Amino acid sequence: MVDKRFSLLAVLLVTALVLAACPQPTPIEQTMQEGAPQDVAQTDEEAAASPPSMSPMQGGVWVEGSSADATILNPILASDSASFDVLAWFFPSLLGQDPFSGAIVPTAMAESWDVSDDGLVWTFHLRDGVMWSDGEQVTADDFKFTYDAIASDLVETPRKSNLDNIESIEILDSLTIQVTYSEVKCDALNNLGLGWLPRHLYAEDFSDIMDSPLNEAPAISAGEFIFNEWMRDDNTTVLRNDTYWKGAPNMDGWIYKIVPDPGARLAQLQTGELDLIGVQPEQLTTVQLDSNLNLHKFKDDGYSYIGLNQANPENPQPGQDEDGNLIAQDPHPILSDLAVRQAIAHALDYDTIISKVYLGQGYQIASNVLPAVEWAHDPSLQPYAFDTELAAQILEDAGWSDSDEDGVRECNGCATAEEGATLTIRLQTNAGNTTREDLGALVQDQLNSIGFDIQFEAIEFGTLVGELLGQTFDIVILGWTGLGTDPNDDSFWHSKFDTPGSGFNFVSYQNPRIDELLEQGVSVPGCAPADRAPFYTEIQQIIHDDIPYVFVTGSIGNTGYSKKFAGVNPGVWSFYHNIETWALAP
Amino acid sequence: MSRYVFRRLLQAIPTLLGVSVISFVLVYNSPGDPILTRTFDPSITQETREILRRQLGLDQHWSLQYIGWLTGIALRRGDVVDEFTRSEVKCSFVAGLNTTFCDNGGGILRGNLGTSIATNQAVWDRLVERMPATFELGVSALLVSLLLGVPLGVLSAVYQGSFFDNFVRVMAVIGNALPAFWFGLMLIFIFGVVLGWLPTGGRQTVSLTNEFDWVDRLRHLILPTIILAFGGIAGISRFMRTETLEVVRTDYIRTAKAKGIAASRVWFIHALRNALIPLMTILGPAILGVLTGAVITETIFSWPGMGRMTFSAAVQRDYPTVLGAVMFFALLTILGNLLSDILYGIGDPRVRLS
Repeated sequence: MVDKRFSLLAVLLVTALVLAACPQPTPIEQTMQEGAPQDVAQTDEEAAASPPSMSPMQGGVWVEGSSADATILNPILASDSASFDVLAWFFPSLLGQDPFSGAIVPTAMAESWDVSDDGLVWTFHLRDGVMWSDGEQVTADDFKFTYDAIASDLVETPRKSNLDNIESIEILDSLTIQVTYSEVKCDALNNLGLGWLPRHLYAEDFSDIMDSPLNEAPAISAGEFIFNEWMRDDNTTVLRNDTYWKGAPNMDGWIYKIVPDPGARLAQLQTGELDLIGVQPEQLTTVQLDSNLNLHKFKDDGYSYIGLNQANPENPQPGQDEDGNLIAQDPHPILSDLAVRQAIAHALDYDTIISKVYLGQGYQIASNVLPAVEWAHDPSLQPYAFDTELAAQILEDAGWSDSDEDGVRECNGCATAEEGATLTIRLQTNAGNTTREDLGALVQDQLNSIGFDIQFEAIEFGTLVGELLGQTFDIVILGWTGLGTDPNDDSFWHSKFDTPGSGFNFVSYQNPRIDELLEQGVSVPGCAPADRAPFYTEIQQIIHDDIPYVFVTGSIGNTGYSKKFAGVNPGVWSFYHNIETWALAP
Repeated sequence: MSRYVFRRLLQAIPTLLGVSVISFVLVYNSPGDPILTRTFDPSITQETREILRRQLGLDQHWSLQYIGWLTGIALRRGDVVDEFTRSEVKCSFVAGLNTTFCDNGGGILRGNLGTSIATNQAVWDRLVERMPATFELGVSALLVSLLLGVPLGVLSAVYQGSFFDNFVRVMAVIGNALPAFWFGLMLIFIFGVVLGWLPTGGRQTVSLTNEFDWVDRLRHLILPTIILAFGGIAGISRFMRTETLEVVRTDYIRTAKAKGIAASRVWFIHALRNALIPLMTILGPAILGVLTGAVITETIFSWPGMGRMTFSAAVQRDYPTVLGAVMFFALLTILGNLLSDILYGIGDPRVRLS
């Protein structure tokens, strides 16, 4: 008996040792901070000011920490940011983006372009001499193949909408592409930004795209790095591409390491196991006090908002009929009253919200176009001021008073609800997002203090999305990220996107003037910012006045990174835009 | 014995089928929509969402989806052969039934756990990819739990009421009560950040090359093993203490003592052997725990195991991966319990398997 038990233990021990011996990538090649300066953390401006040494030091590895792993390394099949973080190294794209302003610039495959007078035909002239790492040239064929693949029925991709309004794509010669649109849409260029697949590695009929092994291991690259290995949920490694057209990077490679826990990510940044992480607000002080780290702080292209459903959640209706005529909405009994929306906007203590909930990592915004889109943003527009007395007075004047003195106002001559109806509204957000949960609790307190009866609940994200798109909610706390560089956000406001079950104008906002302005703003011939700006100035004013959203805060991003490499000059829109010039710090 | 094992394995079939129905119904009726969750993006049109939903079969009634998942054969009304035929999917239209039958060659009845919605990988491949990491951590935690938990429990019983006994009992309570995420982060902070003795996470130090380094791998194993084993040590030591105290009150131990056999021999040979037998019953479930992974420990220590994968698949509404993992874990549960029973039979000759 004893022998058998010890045999069992022995078997377990041997199994553990054998498993521990399963081959895995290992060695410690990364260069730890050499001669780390003793000063406190630099700002990114200071870091940028210190130029790389005259003869850049070769070698070194940069390790980025991420909470989530990539899902697929194919630019037309991927839909998550982690996948794009990795695959962006390999696939060339048509258009570049200024890392600081976000403007579309000829720094990628297109080195110039012409536009027809009617704004419908775009001719792109491609850079000559850009090579895939297997020696084949990157040509217009790759571009056309990629967009034809998206259109193919054999390819299941969420990118089908990138083809909207594109009438045709023609190859004039191997380095010239002509894209013809069916109508002028000034933000349509953004749809041409996807990475190109190497046509010569795929079947002509696209039949192998969905199941290609290249989706897991892209064999060739035309970017800064070449794919090396992907260990799912652990790390992805890429190696320097010696044939990169801008010049091979100095570093040996780049690693994308999955560290799901934010506390563990910070610990690994401090120990030098990671070189870059997104810093949580509560982690900022630790990063700022660490002399081995830099902090890059920037206004992100996103905001947090409180969405106010203006239609009756019991009776969701589309915003337009088949002919594009407005359908009058069954109004929300409470939130369709502009006075109630104004009272909500004035009742919130934005300073406290930003300092306590967002830990200072936010800034109040007045309307829908963020300061990051400088040419379209209207800085003269003032956000709603926190003024509870004014908020209470607005409600009082609008016929919402607390006649029974139970702390909750009732409709006593209000414009939209039945007499005696209480100011009771559901407020929802997604569970698990602690910032939004905290915000919800604060909003509930602040609104209840002026006579609302807010019933707050945090529910599972998928369920919340169902309620939002189904338009069965009252008030929602949510945020938009990745809004990009174009101010066109018609999907949030245009009545044609008020489609229960699918549209993103889920607050059922209807304003014919806004519909008109949104359409005009994206169809200005020539798309010159100066010509488009007036439309967006008016849009911002109307959205501000109508309050379909209460804008809570613009997002601030924080990136903590090591001082291992010199030449790091992070931009708002791209951290790695000049990575090929980085060199190990002396 | 072999007849017993065979019969138990046969009984496993209806159990697994029951698990498959219940888990399928639960997963498919849980709130959230895998397509909406993945495409909550204004730039993605409703048409695109509908195409994705149809291609994945998510537009069908759950019972049809269940049949498809079970057999690999999807049924669709009308002639949609052209729409669904792929190189790996064969479709045929039966006019009499006005139904198109599409066979994707899969289905769990044919041993195919399906394809992940999130990554387009075979679910079995996803599980296999993570098994070594999960087993490595789990087996090492189980070993540490047994090697420390058993002697601590026996010594607690030997020195019942002493400072040592009380200390072990208090530690056992703490071990069970400490949240793994907090304790894990504390260990990372102390041993990784402040002292710099141990790596803070991962299965190995990441690098651009593929060389294997024993020392590096073992160093990475230490902290997560401590976290995972801490609760195990607590549980096993408490269990062994109780069992040992029970055994030493039996007649044969009293007889052994009366015969003048040395105390250490009475405790560690006579008492321990018998006290170990009930341990067999918890060993099966313990091994199961080892094999299914530990979500929190794997998350804190960036350990690429099955528990973390299943958890993130659930969050992403990756139904095939969640269901595949559930079926795999169900099979392991059945096998773990069977192993427990067999071990019990081997350990205690009075128990006969029949």
